[in-house]
Amino acid sequence: MKATREPVTGYYLNVEILGRPQRLYVEEAGQGIPLLCLHTAGSDTRQYRGLMNDAGITRDFRVIAFDMPWHGKSSPPAGWQTEEYRLTSADYARMVLEVCDALALERPAVMGCSIGGRIALVLAMEHAQRFRAIIGLQSGASIDPYYELTWFHHPQVHGSEASAAYVSGLMAPMSPEADRWETLWHYMQSGPGIFKGDLYFYRGADGDIRARLGAIDTRVCPLYLLTGEYDYSVSPEDTRAAAERIKGAKFSVMPKLGHFPMSENPALFLTYLRPVLAEIRGRG
Amino acid sequence: MALPLETLKERAAGDALLARFGLDFDCALLVGDGDTDWLVEIERGVIVRVAKGPFIMPKTDLRLRAASETWQRFLEPVPPPGYHDLLALRRYRRIQIEGDIRLMSAYLFYLKRLFALLRAPGA
Repeated sequence: MKATREPVTGYYLNVEILGRPQRLYVEEAGQGIPLLCLHTAGSDTRQYRGLMNDAGITRDFRVIAFDMPWHGKSSPPAGWQTEEYRLTSADYARMVLEVCDALALERPAVMGCSIGGRIALVLAMEHAQRFRAIIGLQSGASIDPYYELTWFHHPQVHGSEASAAYVSGLMAPMSPEADRWETLWHYMQSGPGIFKGDLYFYRGADGDIRARLGAIDTRVCPLYLLTGEYDYSVSPEDTRAAAERIKGAKFSVMPKLGHFPMSENPALFLTYLRPVLAEIRGRG
Repeated sequence: MALPLETLKERAAGDALLARFGLDFDCALLVGDGDTDWLVEIERGVIVRVAKGPFIMPKTDLRLRAASETWQRFLEPVPPPGYHDLLALRRYRRIQIEGDIRLMSAYLFYLKRLFALLRAPGA
């Protein structure tokens, strides 16, 4: 096999996030319109490997993704050993804005998946003027609590394997085996309690934004919602219910994809994303 | 009755994923397929016995029960969304999951694989 180098650059950013010094890992590829990508709960930037390696996209877009603090190659903040990690809606939204500021991104497009898809809705609601477009993947305004969180962080269970096993069925059965298992590997590498901590806002009252969706003004910032048909955590019906409350939101179902479209089947996902990016590019 | 549990032992024999995720797994697993109960006994990750009910007072660690129509759709070669995974069945309240949920969580990859093996050809 001939060695090839991917056109992806990774670097560490020392930056204050949520009032604390953080060592944040960032990946980038391409140039042009900044497109900030937010990974799912308990995972990291590697989910966007397909996007960063697509020459057609990186020709016009500067694709940027960061590992949230506690995730991937970003360290937890000093003192983590005595804390329980719990992500709140307000902290998550503020973190995204602080990363945009730190990287001096001027009206980027932002795309988030799952918890990132939820915060995409919050950003659309509260900070629309900061973005040129918002793309929510697997976005729902709330979640049906059909599973127990206890076992994602418990001394008697391998939490990261359990987390991976819980999310494994969220992918479409026809997604390529290697990409499905790579997606699960990212989950298995998650730090103890991190998946559970990310779900704190996502599953709780703090993150339930059903009643507030009407406040989103898509004339200020266009909103695209794409949902894979095999996702049962945020099903197409869940996203449709949210989209129906947001005037001007553009919703579509992605057949043969699940909860991790960009990672479980990058090639197929890009066929759904390209027209959205073309529209964003067209608007300038 | 939809699940070909009488073939489970052969299907599971030598399976690499069960071996990978079944370390030290001991479980008396009751599977309900409509009105029919099955007891699957797993020792150290190996399926040692599969028995068809009825049982009087079975000692079980975990009980998974669904209607035969649900299992039928679960078994389709390309199952429809919502029927393609044990937890998808749970999300839509199509399966009853009871018992030692700690054990289920620790060995969920194993259990999902076990049921997926029933889907493969060779029934």
